[in-house]
Amino acid sequence: MLETILQLAINGLTLGGIYALIAIGLTLIFGVVRIINFAQGEFLMIGMFATFWIFSLLKIDPYIALFIFTPLLFLLGMGTERLIIKPILNAPPIAQIFSTFGLSIVLQNGALMFWKSDYRSLETAYSNAVINWAGLMINVPRLVAFLVAVGIVILLYLFLQKTYLGKAMNAVAQDRDAAQLMGVDINKIYMVAFGVGIGLEGLAGALIMPIYATYPTVGFTFGLIAFVVVVLGGLGNMIGAFLGGLIIGLVESFSGFYISPELNTAIYFLIFVLVLIIRPSGLMGIVGAEEMGLK
Amino acid sequence: MKKGNGAGLRWGVLLVLAGILLVYPLVERNAFYIHLLVMIFFYIFLGLGWNVVGGFAGQLSLGHTVFYGIGAYTSTLLFINLGVSPWLGMFVGGILATLTSVVIGVPCFRLHGPFFAMSTLALGEVFRILATYWRDLTQGAMGISIPVKFGWRNFIFEEKAVYYYVILAFTVVALGVSYWIHRSRFGSNLVALREDEEAAESLGINVPRNKLWAIMISAFLTALGGTFSAQYVLFIDPDAEFSVGLSLLMAILPILGGVGTVWGPVIGAAVLVPLQEGLRAWLGSSLHGLHLFIYGGLLILVVTFLPRGILEWIQAWGRKAIPSLFPTPLLEKPAVPRSNHFMAWSWLTPKGTGDGTLMEVKDLHKNFGGLAAIRQVSFQIQRGEILGLIGPNGAGKTTLFNVISGFYRPDGGKVIYHGEMISSLHSAYLICRRGMGRTFQLVKPFPSISVLENVMTGAFLRAKAHAAAQEDGLEILELVGLYGIRNTLGKSLTISDRKRLELARALATRPDLLLLDEIMAGLNPKETAEAINLIRKIRDHGITILIIEHVMQAVMSLSDRIVILHHGEKIGEGTPREVAADEKVIKAYLGEEYVLT
Amino acid sequence: MSLLEVEKMDVFYGDVQALRQVSLKVEEGEIASIVGGNGAGKTTVLRTLSGLLTASSGHIQFLGGDMTQSPPHRRVEMGLIQIPEARRLFPYMTVSGNLDMGSYTPRARKDKEKVLKEIYHLFPILQERRNQITQTLSGGEQQMLAIGRGLMALPKLLMLDEPSLGLAPIVVKMIFETVRRINSRGITILLVEQNVKQCLELSHRSYVLENGQIVLHGTGEEVLKNEHLRKAYLGL
Repeated sequence: MLETILQLAINGLTLGGIYALIAIGLTLIFGVVRIINFAQGEFLMIGMFATFWIFSLLKIDPYIALFIFTPLLFLLGMGTERLIIKPILNAPPIAQIFSTFGLSIVLQNGALMFWKSDYRSLETAYSNAVINWAGLMINVPRLVAFLVAVGIVILLYLFLQKTYLGKAMNAVAQDRDAAQLMGVDINKIYMVAFGVGIGLEGLAGALIMPIYATYPTVGFTFGLIAFVVVVLGGLGNMIGAFLGGLIIGLVESFSGFYISPELNTAIYFLIFVLVLIIRPSGLMGIVGAEEMGLK
Repeated sequence: MKKGNGAGLRWGVLLVLAGILLVYPLVERNAFYIHLLVMIFFYIFLGLGWNVVGGFAGQLSLGHTVFYGIGAYTSTLLFINLGVSPWLGMFVGGILATLTSVVIGVPCFRLHGPFFAMSTLALGEVFRILATYWRDLTQGAMGISIPVKFGWRNFIFEEKAVYYYVILAFTVVALGVSYWIHRSRFGSNLVALREDEEAAESLGINVPRNKLWAIMISAFLTALGGTFSAQYVLFIDPDAEFSVGLSLLMAILPILGGVGTVWGPVIGAAVLVPLQEGLRAWLGSSLHGLHLFIYGGLLILVVTFLPRGILEWIQAWGRKAIPSLFPTPLLEKPAVPRSNHFMAWSWLTPKGTGDGTLMEVKDLHKNFGGLAAIRQVSFQIQRGEILGLIGPNGAGKTTLFNVISGFYRPDGGKVIYHGEMISSLHSAYLICRRGMGRTFQLVKPFPSISVLENVMTGAFLRAKAHAAAQEDGLEILELVGLYGIRNTLGKSLTISDRKRLELARALATRPDLLLLDEIMAGLNPKETAEAINLIRKIRDHGITILIIEHVMQAVMSLSDRIVILHHGEKIGEGTPREVAADEKVIKAYLGEEYVLT
Repeated sequence: MSLLEVEKMDVFYGDVQALRQVSLKVEEGEIASIVGGNGAGKTTVLRTLSGLLTASSGHIQFLGGDMTQSPPHRRVEMGLIQIPEARRLFPYMTVSGNLDMGSYTPRARKDKEKVLKEIYHLFPILQERRNQITQTLSGGEQQMLAIGRGLMALPKLLMLDEPSLGLAPIVVKMIFETVRRINSRGITILLVEQNVKQCLELSHRSYVLENGQIVLHGTGEEVLKNEHLRKAYLGL
């Protein structure tokens, strides 16, 4: 009994780490740029497909591919900010919602046109590797993803606290005008923040490719999960996204076992709606909730 | 250009189109084209349904598939299991969807913008998963096949053309509903709350209830579409009936066509569905997703650069090319003299009777986060007077307004209006309905509708019909001097005109007490003088005015009496002369030790 | 040549004209001030000078160069620093975090440690509270922090927007005294205030703003004695 619970907890935590990894980019973008990027999941999808293809065609391992695609997606993110986000920064909600929504549709269907709807997965030497720890089984790629998630949170925290660029982002998130009065080039910050947020999806995509199959609409599923995590944790809050991810991972793990795996998604979507209604600022509170109409 | 010709031409065009639409299937032999027409009108119908809550009310739902699926499953399950005719089942489905929309709407309408959208998206997925999981009821992912037994009672037809006529009829009904909404008080309320919820409340609009009605109507119509689809395809499953893609299409097509208009959903579907079906037929399963790819790209372009949709383009072109077909409303003064319903100012008790205190504020107290924004404020306002409220920055003047007009609840004290204690009412719109109108410090014109339509949102509080509201609106516009720009959109106005519009809109609700919040700020001396005259004129007709101002010359020359606030407390009251000589006042404004002899 | 020269500046918020043909100048080393009632446009002037708003016509010259089109961060780099109304401190940062942000520009970063020492010398209480989050500071302490943060940027012209707002009289006196001290070290000051007397007593040059227009200017003393001032504030 206890063993089951512990196993479920381990599974939940490692799953949660993955979810956290996917959600961190979304929450960073919201915190700094104040935009909800409905296409966030699609960038994850791009990262996954890129990893898949480079493995299939060039036999490059995902853990190496991530060093290629993280910076590439960072650049892609910066370009997206310039082209698509900048024009709608001060536009009414309908434009801000449907512009990134439009982007997500374009990316999903672009992928569909090029790569068809088949599921693609890859198998590496360690895809199914398992560590046995005191009788509990821990899947290696999941563990790696979890550890990377922890590492990213720490790195980001240090970045935001210790580097001038990071502090500038922090300042912009807390008070945009005051930041400008400190000499912060706000357009540059938006671009970099968006780039980082998307680059993180590239990283996540490479890390989860050994675990999940990819297909054009995989971004939709993971994207929604990212929203749930971000809202639960508190928009714009990095630690919140990490904790939120762990909680959702645990919920999924336990409800999958005790209730039904099919109802997993329904359960955490319900949690999502409940959080939005009851405590929209999430666990850790939001940086600037009222602006976005959460009252 | 006489009005008569234009109307005649428009009706003519409509009749010709209607004729073509009715006759076409009888001459067309190719089933594909009939199918195409069915698809076009199907999406027009769904788009019109979505548009009620997404376009008119501005609540961007991405989960309408919930209602669609409820419609499809209800009628199908009733038909298969109990032999109930799908026509009846359709109505049952509509009612169920309507009830569901209330359950969803009550909590979710507290969210705005992207959060509302996300929550509806999530709910759509929840329903899809539940439908898949609840196999006993729905057969889960296997879906349900409807046995092919032709007949009107079964809502199953051999000829596609019959389906076409059915969906055409549905669409006509939906168009009728849209048009009715567009012209009615309800529609005006929806537009107002879409543009600015606070301003809508200040005009006496019960925002939550109106939103609910919008989603209920929308849900009902959408559910009907679900049943139709079930009867057309004769197979339902959770992925098709609770499809995210469908939710998106229901929103995207009206947005591309022109969100919040009657004809926008029609244009959107009419232009894009043929493209979609054409691509599907031509390319088959290769390049699956191309049409959506195009939609996505168009969506980005439209919301960024052409927010009012394709319709705007067409209208702009049409106004130049065929003006009589695309008239700009009310270009000229009507020949028939207007009634003077509004200008009779009949809702105000004539001066001489009902003298005395119109409103009293007693020991009013309001805290914000531990600090008292206003404390122990008391004063009265007499019927027919102009009372000025002044005080340095942060004195609490706007807070006081917000408490009086019901936007904040007081933490102590009371507000008595018409002898009734209104401070215990919990909604601002109730106070407006009792006769208090207000303007806002940061003016809130409704940006995407015209000056006349703006004023009408206020006029609809008292006027029941479009014609009466329009009449009132025109009269008021003439009074405040905005008649000439009655067709200009709210967002294109100068500051002086915006302030006038705000005043006109509040006036349209037929108040007897008008609260004006810094209405002169930003005006040049000439405009300020005009504003002073206008306010005097309004008062002379019998409206009592409470005015916050910083433009000292203005408030001093206008006010009969003045109340001064400083740090949330009333520090003085009296005539303008008295107040200007009051030491406490001078200190408050100019700082300690300033007092000149 | 003046340190700052503004010529016939018009500023619009959308279609709303907030400033009309505003002209003013500030000489190096002096304390200049803009006074006026609420809604007169004082904050608008400072926001435009900082680049947060764009003038639709007119010129802004700073240190001899035209700055009208420069983006906000360029102006800060050149030494045009604003301490905004209601302080606008970063709410979730500590005192030292805020001061750190003050020296964001490359020019200011170089001497950061030295300047920080001076700020702590000027405002000892800030050193004491350097690890506290700004929300826990009193109003006066917050204002000091805001000023300190502005000084970290090594200003050539320091603009203060209503530093006395919401503060107790005794604290206000201290703030004005601080401004005088800062100026005596060679930093030019542009002060925007509603609190007239103390501000005008301090100013070498003053402008009165009413409804977006300059209606009066002169030395601080001249303006203080002028009847029009009283009319501008009290309307009679």
